[in-house]
Amino acid sequence: MLPDDPRHNLVVRRFPFQVYILIPLVALVLQAWLPRQHYLSVTAYVDLPLVVTIYFALSRRNPVQGMFMGATLGLLQDAMTHQAIGLNGITKTVVGYLAASVGVRIDEGSLLVRVTLSVGLSLLSSALYLFIFEQLLGLDKEWHWQTEILRGLGNALMAIVFYPLLDRLQLKD
Amino acid sequence: MEPFFRRYRNPLVLFTLLLVQFLLLALQVRRTDAGISTLEDTHDGHSVRLLRSWTAAIVTPFERILQGSTSGVRYVWGNYLDLRHEHDKNKDLEQTIDRMRLEEASLLEDARQGQRLQEQLGFQRQYIYQTRIAAVIGGSGTDHSRVLYINKGSSDGVAHDMAVIVPQGIVGKVREVFSHTAQVLVINDQTSGAGVILEKTRIRGILRGNANGQTQIVGILKDDRIQPGERILTAGGDQIFPRGLPVGVVKKVITDPDRDEFIDIIVEPYAPLNRIDEVQVITSMQPVFSPEAQQDINASEQLKGPEAQAIREKSIEEQKKAAAILAERLPGLTDPNAQPTDEPKPADTDIRVKPPLRPKHQDNFSPPGGESDATKPANHIPQKGEH
Repeated sequence: MLPDDPRHNLVVRRFPFQVYILIPLVALVLQAWLPRQHYLSVTAYVDLPLVVTIYFALSRRNPVQGMFMGATLGLLQDAMTHQAIGLNGITKTVVGYLAASVGVRIDEGSLLVRVTLSVGLSLLSSALYLFIFEQLLGLDKEWHWQTEILRGLGNALMAIVFYPLLDRLQLKD
Repeated sequence: MEPFFRRYRNPLVLFTLLLVQFLLLALQVRRTDAGISTLEDTHDGHSVRLLRSWTAAIVTPFERILQGSTSGVRYVWGNYLDLRHEHDKNKDLEQTIDRMRLEEASLLEDARQGQRLQEQLGFQRQYIYQTRIAAVIGGSGTDHSRVLYINKGSSDGVAHDMAVIVPQGIVGKVREVFSHTAQVLVINDQTSGAGVILEKTRIRGILRGNANGQTQIVGILKDDRIQPGERILTAGGDQIFPRGLPVGVVKKVITDPDRDEFIDIIVEPYAPLNRIDEVQVITSMQPVFSPEAQQDINASEQLKGPEAQAIREKSIEEQKKAAAILAERLPGLTDPNAQPTDEPKPADTDIRVKPPLRPKHQDNFSPPGGESDATKPANHIPQKGEH
């Protein structure tokens, strides 16, 4: 149930400054390294920078911070690929904005909300990526919607596992 | 004015961030003469390259540490397992080396003959002269871009567009070079391309990746001769991979979903693309044997000289027989205008052109009588009034 004045009643999580640097960096490094380990190759269906963007945007409930976190992570992720820089940057900027905007209105601590948001925003991110790639840039790409659904489910699984761990890093008043 | 910005701060920041990134994207995409959009994938702009370089500088040190620690654990465990079967393995290896030396010595003559022929025909085959071993330290982390990062860069002599291989087969090409790392575009990426040839059917095509990360050759005309299991080699025409390197085998042949008369060949690559720890970057290609290869060849000749000589003599004998048969079947191989030489030909190389058999009755297909057209040289041009 939505509170009457969500902006004042919902808790804004705060983290030590180092967490804002280290966690995104760990996400980037693991994202680049894990899929290459053949026993962990299934992690290719996970987007850890996206999971981290959603987490901080939801927890901080601040769209501007969410957008900057998403843009930075997305641009760095793009720079690791051989694709155009900005594709992931744009999608994660939008995801950061939406997640923070939704976070202002709902209780993001619930597991169901986290899973639903992770799947929904992950699918939106994939759709945006393909839209920019194919429609705006006019580039050709082969893709399968099953893969994108798998990616959404993988991200939800990561949210279930890692969000409680990240919650432990928050500052307690 | 201030309340407007305060009220619409979030949408304004969103708009600004998106606008900047769209502009950045627009700078990287260009339109070809044919009106097709393409990424500037061969040479990034300065700002884009700088961003890639910075990101590599931030991320790759951590990847090195991770890769190094896991490799260390695997190395210790692997050593323990190896020690258990060391003796048997050594014996097997010695036998293999013996056999390979013998084979190498016998193949040497073929290689030399091949070189001589190529020189005569006016083209050069490039041999791999120098390679540099590099460890794979990471990847892009997404299936939208199948690239690897290796721990060798421009300071180690690695340069743009160098071929990257493993002993089993080709892996990809160097796409981006930084000072101590390099980015390798793997052959199963959708934007990659390598010129390949099917070993038996000699059909050429371009190898690239698909959305599932498989390697495939697309846009081949339907051909029943192409069967699963046929070997695929590099064709050498792309100026990146030397000719004749193993690529993979035909896994299956499927009809092109868009064009019925074309097929796509799904290829099983020899190189284990998803679990490579070390690669070799071909840093130099020369039409000569490297000093190490030459040393190996000399050692082979000394160690297995008599046996190799026997094989070589047998091989030469067979080649002569084949040449004689070929000459009989292809009379055009002998130039009828060639000046006769005084040197006597050896008995086994006396290749005479047999005249074609005369028909018993006149027909429309045989040359007319008298000075037969068949006896004229192949390059003879009929003059005016001449039939």
